[in-house]
Amino acid sequence: MEASIPILWISVILPLLVALVGVKVKDENIDSIAYTLAATLLLPVIVVIIAAFKGLLGEGLVDPWMAHIGSVGTFALTLDGLSSLVIAGVSLVTAFVSIYSIPYMKTRVTEMKEAGETPPSLGVYFFLYSLFSVAMLGLVYATNMVLFYIFLELTLLPSFLLIAYYGYGDRKRIAILYLVWTHIGAVMFLSGVLYYGFHVGNFDYLDVNTMTPITGTANMLGTAAKYVALLMVLGLFVKMAVFGFHMWLPYAHAEAPTPISALLSPNLIGLAGYALARITVPIFPTFFAQYKWILIYLAFTTIIYGGLVALKQTDFKRFLAYSSISQMGYMLLGIATLTPIGITGAMIQYLSHALGKALLFMTAGVFITELHGLRDIRLMGGLARKYPLTAALALLGFMHLVGMPPTIGMWSELFIVFGLFKDVALTTEFIPIVMLVIVALMVSASYSFVTMRRIFYNKPRSEKAEMKTETPGALQYSMLFIGVMGVVFFLWINPYYHGLLEVIHKTFLFAGIGG
Amino acid sequence: MIDPIWIWLTPYLGASALAILWIFGVRDERVYDWISVGSILVSAIIATILTPIVYNGHLIYTKYAWLPSLGINFGTYMDGLGAFMALIVSWLSFLIAVYSTEYMKRDWGVQRYFFFFTFFVGSMLLLVLADNLVLMFVGWEGTGLASYALIGHWYTDEEETWVGDPGRKAFGTPMYFEPSHSGVRAILFTRAGDIGMIIGMALFYMVAGTFSIPEISQNATGWMGFLASKGVLSAALLVFSLGALAKSAQFPFHEWLVTAMTGPTPVSALIHAATMVKAGVYFMLRFSPIFYNGAVALGGVALTATEQYFNIIALLGGITAFIMATMALVSRELKLIWAFSTASQLGYMFLGVGAAGLLSQKEMAYEGIAASAAHLMSHAVFKAALFLIAGWAIHAVHSRFIDNMGNFSKYMKITTVSIWFAGLSLAGLPPFSGFWSKEGVIHAAEAAHLENLWLLAVFTAGLTGFYTVRAIIRAFHMPPYEPPHHEAELHEAPPRILWPYTILAFTALAIGLAWPFGFGADFSNLISKTLGFEKPVQLAVSFNLTTYSIIIWVLAMVLLVPALYLVLKVDFVSMLKTSKTARIFHDFLYDRWYINALIYIFIVGGFLGIIDILGYVDGFIDAFYHIGIPIAFILISKGFRATHRGRPDLYLAYYAYGIGLLLLLLYMIWG
Repeated sequence: MEASIPILWISVILPLLVALVGVKVKDENIDSIAYTLAATLLLPVIVVIIAAFKGLLGEGLVDPWMAHIGSVGTFALTLDGLSSLVIAGVSLVTAFVSIYSIPYMKTRVTEMKEAGETPPSLGVYFFLYSLFSVAMLGLVYATNMVLFYIFLELTLLPSFLLIAYYGYGDRKRIAILYLVWTHIGAVMFLSGVLYYGFHVGNFDYLDVNTMTPITGTANMLGTAAKYVALLMVLGLFVKMAVFGFHMWLPYAHAEAPTPISALLSPNLIGLAGYALARITVPIFPTFFAQYKWILIYLAFTTIIYGGLVALKQTDFKRFLAYSSISQMGYMLLGIATLTPIGITGAMIQYLSHALGKALLFMTAGVFITELHGLRDIRLMGGLARKYPLTAALALLGFMHLVGMPPTIGMWSELFIVFGLFKDVALTTEFIPIVMLVIVALMVSASYSFVTMRRIFYNKPRSEKAEMKTETPGALQYSMLFIGVMGVVFFLWINPYYHGLLEVIHKTFLFAGIGG
Repeated sequence: MIDPIWIWLTPYLGASALAILWIFGVRDERVYDWISVGSILVSAIIATILTPIVYNGHLIYTKYAWLPSLGINFGTYMDGLGAFMALIVSWLSFLIAVYSTEYMKRDWGVQRYFFFFTFFVGSMLLLVLADNLVLMFVGWEGTGLASYALIGHWYTDEEETWVGDPGRKAFGTPMYFEPSHSGVRAILFTRAGDIGMIIGMALFYMVAGTFSIPEISQNATGWMGFLASKGVLSAALLVFSLGALAKSAQFPFHEWLVTAMTGPTPVSALIHAATMVKAGVYFMLRFSPIFYNGAVALGGVALTATEQYFNIIALLGGITAFIMATMALVSRELKLIWAFSTASQLGYMFLGVGAAGLLSQKEMAYEGIAASAAHLMSHAVFKAALFLIAGWAIHAVHSRFIDNMGNFSKYMKITTVSIWFAGLSLAGLPPFSGFWSKEGVIHAAEAAHLENLWLLAVFTAGLTGFYTVRAIIRAFHMPPYEPPHHEAELHEAPPRILWPYTILAFTALAIGLAWPFGFGADFSNLISKTLGFEKPVQLAVSFNLTTYSIIIWVLAMVLLVPALYLVLKVDFVSMLKTSKTARIFHDFLYDRWYINALIYIFIVGGFLGIIDILGYVDGFIDAFYHIGIPIAFILISKGFRATHRGRPDLYLAYYAYGIGLLLLLLYMIWG
């Protein structure tokens, strides 16, 4: 359905305008800018909720502003079942993290000034922040590979600058490392896209008139289709930090300023998973069918490897970074099953990981802000006694990752496993897959609850860990909202499930995938 | 009629209210007491009002849409079993909540305690009333979460909250457990089984196309036949039941329940004795009639596969009953004795269900299942009483070891009577409730011709009598081995602590007395209204020679204890110091057959080893990308730079080579 007002473009442009106004605002008065920014960033999730109420998710919503650019295709923004939860994740996390940023970044900037550095003002921070946020939104709304790529590049530059300006440790080197790595991914993806686009004649992956995915075009590429698909998929794998291409992630996500980690880690990398389901699966269904088992085992490797290496980490944020790698494995697993329910699970996984991991990075940020940069798990312990609300929210975050009700994590876990067993249940793969599922889910549960204990229970293991007591403020309340939303979506999953399934069924029908 | 959804929704609403109040800064204990006790009482009353309707043969079933296209709804399914479980859970929770208001008074985490307590009650009621697998799973995981949080309630890990002797090790594995450690153990052990349950749900989704339990029951022949034709029926049923085995602490998942005793005692009474650990048994009671009916209707391969499955269940139950009872013989911690005993009694229930599934006559099979349900009820009542008394005993001497307890009978008359009632019920002597139900289970094993397991069960019944009376005699009728370190408060418990366990202990007697005079028939009638029970059951114990021999055997073991301790005054403690054989035997039992040590050495240790290796692998990948590749490029760059040093003679030489190469190529192309 075509929207009567260009609400999607507005939701992309408005936060940017707010941030532009704020560039020159002094650091003392930045609060109002941050709150306004948060309000505008909530717009997309409100649109999603209204669409869900009206039952529009299956049919989709098209923004009336669009441009037809000859052989490039149509530049338009849309929202449908497949993207609804991804949009909700980006919107919720960026909005509440923007409020969270106020106390966090004030402390960070003061700390940097004390160390004799001159970081750019908070106005600049919020400008880059909003650019980063809207670029992610635009990326999900996009229907055309070129537009997609433009937004992809737009996410990269502000996040690179944010790490370089406000990061920790060897931040300049890590910012460049991040830039180079993700560029390798982006360029691989782009070369696939260009080859595809020049042979097919346009770059659309979604027909905005009928809201159906473009399929069958891979035939025009002939034998090259496999390599084009491989380039695009590998490019996205780098972004997604699948095992083997994951090495940049622990550096970037651990050393970015924590609010940015909370955006990078769950939101940005998950978008690559979304792109897999949105762009590559409908266009190259035979590629995915052919390499299904390789992808499934790669996903399991990523889950188990990321989870086990996470257990070895001593730095809280680095631990979370490895856990993100592991969680991306679940997303890949859901997509690789190539079943409607599995892909549904993967998209729900995006939201559950976005909310859960945001909660956990924000937990890390609470201690970095209040306990003089405490992030070494070995020096923590007993923090639940001093920080009960933060501890409760961190537990809720871990429950998202483990997939325990009453968080939305349960649905993603169930649906991914359902999708997985749809085809393997009665084959010889049954027993190995059962073992792998048990190990994978146990690894996730282990690192979650073991770390919960190391951080929050037992006795404090350093003086830093018992310096202060919690006084709930913007840090905790913004976390609280994110946590509550995880429960709300758990209870109110029906319209999203149907929206997702309708779009995926349509895709499968057009792409001719069985199941 | 009241909507049955309120039975589980009310405690959830209570828990939500507590969470909201806590966030708004309300810390007054009394508010938490009232909301918690009140919401549980409401659900108990509703359950009580609705049960007679079910008893009279009307199914109570309401549902509200959640994910209707998958058959996932907020559906409350109150049949005989559901009503029975709801009654037990809600009333026990109510009594234990009242007990908690006194017991947990002025505890530093009392608000958190009542939040998770109420949340637990809601989850448990949801679990037993859910009409579909996913909703049941929500309750299932909710109980697991509450159990985790409450086991680790005293997460600052003070030594008096531990389980085990501080410093004790078996094969280098520490055998003492802090609350925060026990919490992690509990959730991971049970989670391992829950994954099996998720996989089972995936199979149902695929094969039966629904999650609704009544529909699964209806289509039993369809999906069971399909799975049987593929030769995976027994494996699938077993994977699906893994969650039940883990939750009910059956071998080899039993370890978590032992260390769960780090939680506050009312929690042990409610979650780790009376209700949550029964979730696995409930699961078996709920699904075994379905599996049984399906298998009988199909016959052939399906029947063989299902029998294989029931055989495994019975075997695991029997093994658990036996090994846990042996561990209880030597334990020094009162709560641990009851914990071992709980796992052991749960083993009886699994044995009962497993044996029932093997019976070819339908009436007898349902009777076996009903006997397990009866044992669930009697165990819930007497074990809750025993734990609540243990809570007061531990409070009185400020020690969890029975070595520090003694002579309680002189100071606490009512408590002494209560513990004897509850204890003899556990021992399974007539006329207490435990006798009837345990007899039913043992009878099922006999009828199913499981001779070895039957013998094991009978032998274990004797052990049960022995360890129960040993604990009672040592704590109540003998002077302590070591005087307690703190000043003991030896007096009768305050009313809110005393009444709950006294009521429960007298209930254990009352049920036993009333059993042959109509109560057994009433119970049978209620259970007959359960989904899948195609014929009404009538539980009756026929007193024959076997029954009398079992009673005499148990009685002998019970009387052996006072004979050894009070008449012969055998000094087991010095015996352990002098005899090496006794010590080896004792240590084997005391260190829980070394199962814990083996799990830590092989499974945990194995994973730790893998983690170490992966740490190096990750370091290698890191070095390859971020040191190796840059160095390679630096070297290449150096190599190229070395050839461009501005020497005309070299450049001329390159030029000549280049021309030569070009000519060669041209020659190759055209030549």
